Amino acid sequence: MKVQRSKLLVAAMLVVSASAWAQTVPEDVIQKSFYPYKDGFPTHAVYKPGVKVNQGNVDQFKDILDEGLYFFIKDGWVEVDTAAATDFPLSTEYIEATRKNAGSVKLGADGTLDGFVAGRAFPQEPDANDPNAGQKLVWNYQYGFNSGDSETIYPFWWTFRDVKTGKVERQLRFEWHFLNFMHRVTFGPTPEYADNPSRIYRGIYSMVKEPFDLANTQLLINRYEDDTQRDDAWLYLGFQRRVRRLATGQITDAFLGTDLMIEDFEGYNGRVTDYEWSYGGSRDLLLPFYHHNEMALSPEPADDPDGYRFVDVHGRGNCFPRVTYQLRKTYTLIGKPKDPNHPLSKRIINLDAQTSTMASLTVYDRKGDMWKWFPIGKAHSDFHHARNKGKGVALDDFAVLIDVQAQHCTTLQFKSIITDDVNQPSLFSVQNLRKEGR
Amino acid sequence: MANQSIAHRSLFNILAMTMALAAGVPAVHAWTSKDGTAEVHGYVDNTTHERVGSRAGISKMRNRGQLEFSKDIGRAGIFSELSFHGILRASYDAAYDLNSDTWGDEAGGPVMLQSQGGPDLGLPYMVPWGATPNPALGPVVLPGTNPFATSDPDVLNGFFLGTNPNEGLVILGSESFTATGGIPGFGGVQLAYPGRPCNEDPRGCIKDYMDADEDDLRFPEFNEQQDWLREIYVDATIPFANGDELNLRIGRQQVVWGRTDLFRVLDQVNPIDFSIQNIYEEFEDSRIPMGIFSSEYRMGATGAFDDLNFQFIWKFEKFRPHNLGQGGQPYNILDAGNLFRALSTCWNFGCTVGNFAPNATAALSFNPPFGPGAPALPHTPGGAFGNGLSTGLLATTFPKQTIGIHDAILPDWELDNSEIGARLEGVFKGVGFSVNTLYFHQQLPSLHGGTAGPPAINPFLAQTGTFTSAAGLLPPGGIPANVLINPATGQVLDTFGNAVPRPYLLAFDIHFPRVFMLGGSADFYVEPLKSSFRVEVAHTNGEEFPNTLDPRLYSESNVVRWVVGWDRPTFIKFLNPTRAFLISAQLFGQHLLDHERIQTPAGPAGMPDWKDNFTGTLLVQGNYKNDRIQPRVISAYDFEAQAATIAPSVDWLITDNWRLSLGANFKVGRAKNEWDDCRLCNQFPPFTDPAEGTPGAGTLPPGQAVNRIGGMSPLGAFRSGPIGMAQDEDEFQILLRYSF
Repeated sequence: MKVQRSKLLVAAMLVVSASAWAQTVPEDVIQKSFYPYKDGFPTHAVYKPGVKVNQGNVDQFKDILDEGLYFFIKDGWVEVDTAAATDFPLSTEYIEATRKNAGSVKLGADGTLDGFVAGRAFPQEPDANDPNAGQKLVWNYQYGFNSGDSETIYPFWWTFRDVKTGKVERQLRFEWHFLNFMHRVTFGPTPEYADNPSRIYRGIYSMVKEPFDLANTQLLINRYEDDTQRDDAWLYLGFQRRVRRLATGQITDAFLGTDLMIEDFEGYNGRVTDYEWSYGGSRDLLLPFYHHNEMALSPEPADDPDGYRFVDVHGRGNCFPRVTYQLRKTYTLIGKPKDPNHPLSKRIINLDAQTSTMASLTVYDRKGDMWKWFPIGKAHSDFHHARNKGKGVALDDFAVLIDVQAQHCTTLQFKSIITDDVNQPSLFSVQNLRKEGR
Repeated sequence: MANQSIAHRSLFNILAMTMALAAGVPAVHAWTSKDGTAEVHGYVDNTTHERVGSRAGISKMRNRGQLEFSKDIGRAGIFSELSFHGILRASYDAAYDLNSDTWGDEAGGPVMLQSQGGPDLGLPYMVPWGATPNPALGPVVLPGTNPFATSDPDVLNGFFLGTNPNEGLVILGSESFTATGGIPGFGGVQLAYPGRPCNEDPRGCIKDYMDADEDDLRFPEFNEQQDWLREIYVDATIPFANGDELNLRIGRQQVVWGRTDLFRVLDQVNPIDFSIQNIYEEFEDSRIPMGIFSSEYRMGATGAFDDLNFQFIWKFEKFRPHNLGQGGQPYNILDAGNLFRALSTCWNFGCTVGNFAPNATAALSFNPPFGPGAPALPHTPGGAFGNGLSTGLLATTFPKQTIGIHDAILPDWELDNSEIGARLEGVFKGVGFSVNTLYFHQQLPSLHGGTAGPPAINPFLAQTGTFTSAAGLLPPGGIPANVLINPATGQVLDTFGNAVPRPYLLAFDIHFPRVFMLGGSADFYVEPLKSSFRVEVAHTNGEEFPNTLDPRLYSESNVVRWVVGWDRPTFIKFLNPTRAFLISAQLFGQHLLDHERIQTPAGPAGMPDWKDNFTGTLLVQGNYKNDRIQPRVISAYDFEAQAATIAPSVDWLITDNWRLSLGANFKVGRAKNEWDDCRLCNQFPPFTDPAEGTPGAGTLPPGQAVNRIGGMSPLGAFRSGPIGMAQDEDEFQILLRYSF
């Protein structure tokens, strides 16, 4: 009996302790995190929305341009149109999940996340004096609402371009699917699928539709909840008709000949624990955030059944999106790889404060020289494809990875749909690769 | 040669035109219907291979078009997904026209066969097809100049030069025979095969197995099996309330079970067309699609498994074996097609076999087969047979229906002959795995000594007498009437009255026995090595292998095969600082659990296949210019055969539509592996071993005479393997493809 009473006492203490830990997040923190423009958009002494930023006036706006964009405008690669900033509110379910769960989230001793359920892990304003501020930001990014719970991108064109000549060297036409198995907030089941024995956090599935030599090549990536566990990945090779296990450790390899390393996907596609993360402060930057339907669009894809058209390209090598930029609040996140043999010395991610999505990325080689610039154009989901209306996701709409040193770029043109209609767990299985393979 | 020059010029013209076109033609993409549910794409290409070596010239100039289409019907009735897929393929291989004197209707010519123990009949120690040495050489009473010669093609034991002329023939493994033999200094057994398509020369063509005429070779898809309809199947999925799915796929298709390159362990469902390019064609292109019903129950994440599926397959299309290449075709894995054509010629028309019967004449001097200046051949002047060396070997002409291949017995289409299989596949803690079982017909041929058809006849035996049953020794068709039998024992007697316990002459039918396979596979990633591994293992029961110790010259053996594959993307910074090289290595093992082999004083006998063998492969592939230039080297090494292949190539993606691939395929190492070709079984005493005609002279049991004169061909091929047997097939290769 004595022993049993002791056990009960310990259990009761644990419950009390857990309750105390699981504090709710103050509403002002939530409001500031998700509605930073409630009291107005950022302003600048010189910059006025609508101004065209070009080689002639770029120095006036240097402090609101990220390192890469300033370089390209200054060097005459591109001129940038601007527009008034707009609100990009995220899904209310995501915000509610943050409100409900963020109080329970802690950083573990090894920098991993404890107690995370769903929503934004650390909605508090980053504190430059907090040595863990960078680590918290990267988790906000890692578990951000970049693709909602489930997203399909199809068509998705990756175009290889020679910067000097503008020549299109190759075009890969994909479909991509993203599904969060855990930390779900909008599509059922929430917060996670029950049958998930290996605790897969996210599944990524893609298939090459063209060109013919790569057609039917499929990629499946399973990312685990345990950040220290390496992704598992399988590749179905159309010309071999079989599934091939991928060695996922070599994520600094270029993907299918593009200018993207596998580690570059979505800004950063590795284990959080592989980098030292630090907070570089908050800046107001001109970012490619816009209303897709109000942009000058490309004639492609000409045969889209919904009449959807991609964002168009312009500038040197046709490497830049023909969209308007707006002045937005960002957090600068600096990542330095722990591996001394890593080809990068650092990656600087500018996170959009409101959406916690990557707005731009600049990576530096081991010598410290700028190597690649990777902005992602974000479209408001209410001004995009009709199926995205009300989804509360800042949609991936255009991206480019410019290799400054190689004078080469890969542009990515998206048709992103936030949907779970085909994104069921069975799509993210090895067997599906065989099923879809021809 | 003129043809080859034309071919070369054509090739360069095509290349030049293509380069110009590649620069000027607007990109063409796959056609997709407006609603996105139907899609058509495909390619046209030219593949040209230039062979160097003894049969130099163009070995392939294939022009191919392929069209792939699909229609997604979507939901229909009980199906959540219903779709329809097909692949049409048509090829024309101009090698048979451009290099007709090597592969086409002018291939081959008259041949001379070695007769190292005999007199000159033409060239020194060579005899022409259809002739045999003069018999006046001593105790071996070989018939005179082709005693079987006849003017009537219907004579049973005849050899009619009118229908079996010394024309259009090629020596089997012709480039290698004088280099070595079963005993150093002696050439091995020699066979010759007709090299022309079956419409030009019907000799050696095996009905429904290897009987392609010239158009069949030129246009390989337009055959009886309608291979132009490469794949055509319906795919349907039935969903269940619990989220499980039942997928049904029915039609002509490929079912891929393996995780390997170049060689297969578990991936046995579809046979392979080796005639395309030996083992070097991608499986996707070399698998022969078959009519298969495949059902797959997909459970998804279940219990401790991240994914779990059960598949059942039923191959309903009539059995098709591997296409090994027909005698006379450029790609002829293991030289099997050439051998079979040679043996089928022997059976149906008669043939001359070089270096076959021992010569008992000690006084005969030998001509060094290695040419002037070569060391003299070892022999035993005046010695008797049975001492380890004979004094030479004589070319021997056999009449028809004596030796050779009588028939290929392909399983009929019957339910009992169906092939079925099942696989449990899934992912457990990140490890992909499968358990596979398949009940199928062996896709490689098995030669059964003795035939099910007309019995083989030993023309050297007495043609009279009666016989009674000799239990266990009877050929399937019974003992022929012209075989002498000891009435007391029932044993077959030779003309000397000695027992001949070998009723199966060197006559065969080709069978494809039933095989049961059970195996499994796994793939996993090892982080500290930054490497992924794949493992397969399979056990088969029922496979048959040549075995010269068995009266019927084959026996069964359980077999274990396995492979370990290792893939690692690896940066080689000085070669490419930004793009990793793919290094992929595989080690295959094969173990014959019931292997039989004995050592006789003159050499080994039993199963020519290795008891334990290993083959290693290595692929190193780089990528430059955003993966538009891909150099790679593929190599493979057969450890026991000591033969290797090295295949460097470079792919250049000129545009999304145009691809140019330049490559080569070199073989190095030991080409020749000898084996006794069943003269150990002394099929034709006294001609194959006169000592056995002398009671008490032999030192080994009957049937294992010491006059072992093995050779590289035919059975040595099993030891040389597909790499060793292609040692004379070094090639330069070029592919130009327009895809859309």
